[in-house]
Amino acid sequence: MQHTATISRLKAAGAPPRLSGLAQWADRHFKWLLVAPAVLLILALSVYPLLFSLVVSFINYDFQVPGHAFVGLKNFERVVFDPVARWSLLLTAWLSGISVAIEFVLGLLVALTMVRSFPGRGVIMSILIVPLFISPVIVGQAWTLLLQRPFGPTNYILTQLLGQEVTIGWMTESPWLYVSLIIADVWQWTPFMFVILLAGLTAIPPNLYEAAELDGVNAWQAFWAITLPHLAPMMLLALTFRLLDAIRMFDTIFIMTGGGPGTRTYTASYYLYTVGFTQFHLSQATAGSWLFLIFTALVVMLLVRRLLKTEPV
Amino acid sequence: MAAVAPVRRPKRRSIPVGRILLLGFFLVFVLWPLYWMFNTSIKPSDDYLTVPPVWFPTAPTLVHYEAALFAYRGLDGLINSLIISLSATVLSALFGTLMAYSLARYNTGGQHLSFWVLSQRFLPPIGIVLPVFLIYRGVGLYDTHIGLIIAYTVFTLPVSVWMMFAYFRGMPKSMEEAALVDGCTRWEAFWRVAVPLAAPGIVAAAVFAFIACWTEFFFALILTSRTAFTLPTVFRAFIGFQGAQYGEAAALAIVSLVPSIALGVLAQRHLVRGLTLGAVRG
Repeated sequence: MQHTATISRLKAAGAPPRLSGLAQWADRHFKWLLVAPAVLLILALSVYPLLFSLVVSFINYDFQVPGHAFVGLKNFERVVFDPVARWSLLLTAWLSGISVAIEFVLGLLVALTMVRSFPGRGVIMSILIVPLFISPVIVGQAWTLLLQRPFGPTNYILTQLLGQEVTIGWMTESPWLYVSLIIADVWQWTPFMFVILLAGLTAIPPNLYEAAELDGVNAWQAFWAITLPHLAPMMLLALTFRLLDAIRMFDTIFIMTGGGPGTRTYTASYYLYTVGFTQFHLSQATAGSWLFLIFTALVVMLLVRRLLKTEPV
Repeated sequence: MAAVAPVRRPKRRSIPVGRILLLGFFLVFVLWPLYWMFNTSIKPSDDYLTVPPVWFPTAPTLVHYEAALFAYRGLDGLINSLIISLSATVLSALFGTLMAYSLARYNTGGQHLSFWVLSQRFLPPIGIVLPVFLIYRGVGLYDTHIGLIIAYTVFTLPVSVWMMFAYFRGMPKSMEEAALVDGCTRWEAFWRVAVPLAAPGIVAAAVFAFIACWTEFFFALILTSRTAFTLPTVFRAFIGFQGAQYGEAAALAIVSLVPSIALGVLAQRHLVRGLTLGAVRG
């Protein structure tokens, strides 16, 4: 008897204030109510559009051809057999591969110079991260101002440095237009590599290096034996994130070359954009974007799976 | 001579020439386009094509700023960008925090739900934006502020959710448990206890959501036209013109990069978490 009395007294003391039916229901399903807004939004604006585009890619949805007839795989065929599409996918792979590789090496080198503290490090840090907060459109604009003939000063500077007349059409001549696009990408995203790799480098316990120094290991050996293995997960993470963004490359091309001359600087995104929004073959564009999606998913699976296995956190 | 064994000297503090050169080169590389853009923005048009180029304008002018903001509707773009980015940021931070809390404290949906959200971050926008364009035209959201606000909220949600997910997981739950024992509802434990404690993380997530919206171009290009156009899309006006609009383009660029750079540098403590969606603690 005494027990139940204690329990009921405890209940009275700790009992939550009387909740209405609705509030009780909300408290019971609390965790699902919290995720509901975000999940519903993603369903409405990402999953539903994707399913819708899957439908569109099997029918005729073209602002130039009336009607929405089912056309089977025709839209996909048009993309697969379009030489421009294949060229754009190849260019996407090349441009993103080269850009990301340069960004990685340069980012790592700069990160290595910034590991130890020195006077002015904070200020330099703040300057180096600035490109990350700039719209790619503006990055493209900035490099256009520097490179475009006859306005840009780049050819003049090169002429002075090399002692002979330089007249490169940075935005019009192959291969220089690819160089220009890569420079713009490297300018904007090397800081990304740098920031992540620096975080990885500063997390390596310094006593490892002290011990190595006592053992007479030189700096180069220490880099291979200590830095590289400790940094590997971080490197993979930085490369994965960066690569997945690089293959979307669109904004700088839109501003700097407009895909031209001809279709020489069409990346996958740019190709699909022109098919959809300047030629208005919307179903062909959605079919192509599904193929691109599958291509991206393969890259993700390859890289992110590895990442999840090695990631220490 | 060669036989003399090198005696290991105590490490000398030599001047690291290579490092200084590399860092110096990289600093110049980063700053040079920014300087040239600023230089172009205040340079009179007569100075555009001189040889050698005008490195320091002797007669700086603000005419390009005036033209960019008014003649090219840069100011309208700026106002639209502010409305859209701020609204999307608030919604993204709010819904992101709600979901992240549920994932972190109740393990809602297990790994599947959280990775499903993460996978959204890696979808190529071109795959989403085509059907969204068609849907928006159908429901009247094309070229509206609301339409772009919704799109930006969804597109920043993965980052908000994952940044806050990591933040809540790194926060002890004892305070909330104490609140629950004291008779708080779960909502009260969340809203009155956890959210105030997580405020710095929420602010950081909001800053990165804002920067992402402020600098976004692709969705705005396709989903807006003459009414809800944002600042980055104004740059379309400067493409292809030979020479005449350099100053205007540069001026507009300077105007639009100030807010995001200021916010980004202020929030740089959280930069690593922001860039890696909370996977790495900076």
